[in-house]
Amino acid sequence: MSLVIRMALALAILSPLAGVAVVGVRVLLGDRQPGEATTARAIATGLIASVLASLAVLWVFLGITGQAIDGDIEFGDWLRIGDFVIPAVLRVDGISVTISVFASVLTALIARFSRTYLHKEPGFVRFFVLLGLFATGTQLVALAGALELFFAGWEIIGISSAFFIGFFHERGEPVRSSIRAFATYRFSDAGLLIATVVTLEFLGSARFSAFERVGTLEPTQATVLALLFLLSAMGKSAQLPFSGWLPRAMEGPTPSSALFYGAVSIHAGLFLLLRVWPVLEVSPVARAAGVAVGLATAVYAAAVVRVHTDAKGALAHATLAQVGLILAEICLGWTALALAHLVCHALLRLGQYLKAPNMIHDTHRLGHEPHGPSQLERWAPKLADRVYAASLHRLRLDDRIDVAFSPVLGVARLLERADRWVRRTLSLDGAAS
Amino acid sequence: MTSLAPTLSAPWEALVVCLLLLVAPAIASQKRSPLWLLAGLAASVAVALFAPGGTAAYLGISFSAVLHALVAWRWSRTGAVTLAVSGVLALAIGTALHFEQPAPAFALSCLAIALRAGVLPLHAGVASLCERAPLVQTQQLASTIALVFVHLRHVDHHVLAIEWAPLLVRYGSLAALAAALIALVQKDLRGFYRGTTAMHGGMLLAAVGAASIGNFAAALLVAVAMGLALGGLGIMITSLEERTGSAAFGGPGGRAGAFPRLAASFALFGGAGVGLPGTAGFVADDLLLHALWMESPASTIVMILSSALLAVATLMAFSCVFLGRTVSSLAPDLYPRERVVAVTLVSLLLVLGFAPGVLLGPADAFLSGPP
Repeated sequence: MSLVIRMALALAILSPLAGVAVVGVRVLLGDRQPGEATTARAIATGLIASVLASLAVLWVFLGITGQAIDGDIEFGDWLRIGDFVIPAVLRVDGISVTISVFASVLTALIARFSRTYLHKEPGFVRFFVLLGLFATGTQLVALAGALELFFAGWEIIGISSAFFIGFFHERGEPVRSSIRAFATYRFSDAGLLIATVVTLEFLGSARFSAFERVGTLEPTQATVLALLFLLSAMGKSAQLPFSGWLPRAMEGPTPSSALFYGAVSIHAGLFLLLRVWPVLEVSPVARAAGVAVGLATAVYAAAVVRVHTDAKGALAHATLAQVGLILAEICLGWTALALAHLVCHALLRLGQYLKAPNMIHDTHRLGHEPHGPSQLERWAPKLADRVYAASLHRLRLDDRIDVAFSPVLGVARLLERADRWVRRTLSLDGAAS
Repeated sequence: MTSLAPTLSAPWEALVVCLLLLVAPAIASQKRSPLWLLAGLAASVAVALFAPGGTAAYLGISFSAVLHALVAWRWSRTGAVTLAVSGVLALAIGTALHFEQPAPAFALSCLAIALRAGVLPLHAGVASLCERAPLVQTQQLASTIALVFVHLRHVDHHVLAIEWAPLLVRYGSLAALAAALIALVQKDLRGFYRGTTAMHGGMLLAAVGAASIGNFAAALLVAVAMGLALGGLGIMITSLEERTGSAAFGGPGGRAGAFPRLAASFALFGGAGVGLPGTAGFVADDLLLHALWMESPASTIVMILSSALLAVATLMAFSCVFLGRTVSSLAPDLYPRERVVAVTLVSLLLVLGFAPGVLLGPADAFLSGPP
């Protein structure tokens, strides 16, 4: 049984990557780009294998035909140098198996949907390669037993997400949006990377099972660690003040928007918090901050969704409102409710995103019911006007972040000037550029 | 017998990486490098890696630096002079080791690494090579790896190394941050390459500093990942410019349509340089951060921010050059010879990313022992 679960776990993660490798090698070494059928077949085979493997993991976890297996599954060491070890360890428990099955099935469904949706699209091959990479990343995130492996999957999700947002790169806006989303990811990923190093130093291991010893930490240490995890989750799940990238992310193709920002990727931050719950549990400060951020995001997004005029943008903010509520639930300690809420919400949104292109057609068919004035408009019309204006401008979040980041760019330009001066002074080749 | 195996394999593995980087530009470029030059470089790097004593090893490094300088002179005098100076420094280090003066040898070796890796503000020579002769820069990265190997083996065990570790770690991380910021505001591909190289230089200096407290393998992997990623990037930039002329960021972009393989290779090398999971860069970053944390938590955070900034700069550079409305071109995508080089270097980055123990296990056993 141990061999079966090892093979199933390895297959769940690596089979989509194998599909990507097959297509990638053909792109790099072949005389012509692989066709749509070849690409879709290679990636879909990997994704279906991943679905079957994750179902096999579920089978073994539930102990349907034998003894149930729960806990860390060892694959040796990814790297061992003296005392320093990066373990190749995967984790099988209720949360990991739920997310693994859920993500693999949805990704395979989206692959099938996209084969028709993106037929004859110039970026067809690119889309499927990114989808395969994303599947590997989500399985790694779902099943990782240590923070290093988790971070690898986390990064893969971020990179594939950025490339999906910039998918229609012939236009300038998607490219700018992808850079903004990637920058937000990398900034908040810094929190996870620091947390990984800190966990290893504080607990002696970066395995998730090491968090059972979190009670031995000083309150300050636990709070720092929990806040770092919260920062990472906020970036990945677009919580305030990092919410600006999410509506911009709708520039990508609809199937990827559905998968990333309706179903899987947007919930990755919440999954991280469920994974490191023992740390959050002993840190009231981080939990209070999480509740405040989650509720503030929910209110903000609920206000914005009422004034949004495009279907995907409105859906993005509706998603955000629910994600904020789930964050609050986790930080209040209602983790089982949060997991159920997460899965149900993801399924609902996936369907809505995929249906979004039909929305205009549906509106014509079903008609549009005009709304009367809201309660706020009746009781406090001036406040309602202000809320309306603020929602319309999305609190100018992007502008505020740009203003906050502008001194960094100012320093960069100063350094560039100094660098040019140094090179020009020392150059023996004439003026340096 | 079990203890002998790693002792034999570490220099061999380093030699394979160095040889690949030495011949890669010669294979990829239409301009053939003279055979005597490649043979001379390969021999000097082999002497450096296999020599039992520090004096002979640094003589090998010195000879390779002089050969690089001779090649570089045609394109970049600043680069050539820098390489020649680093050759003289290597000679001085060899002499110091001969007279059993490890302290000056360590200090000069750090200076030589800083010069060869292009650490700010000693980067004028390497920056000039990045701008004027990226293929020569790729080749000199091979002997920079050898220099780091020799440094870790012969001079990094001295007590001065432990005393200087905090200084090197802090300086390296600050230099990396400054270079990452510079990379962020570049306006063309060569400027980006220059900034990226300087950032990696800072990273390497910090890794060399942290090595003295027992993280030898981390420093070697940082050097190898830097060499492979920057080497590949240099070759891809040259290939692109041979087809389209200089690549300014304000230009039309849209080259991914005409050169999809070149775009994919550029993305892979750029990604490996900023710690793309699955590549050697990811493991190198992870190891480096753990090593730095032991010495200075603040420097670790600075290094993480530098890496994040460089990642954004890399995506911006890729977007500006390769994305946008497709520009048609009569020039072909990567030639088979260029593809072979790209696939070989990417494969090596992936092997070291998925199975880093292949290099690091033997290297750690070899470098941690007495010189």
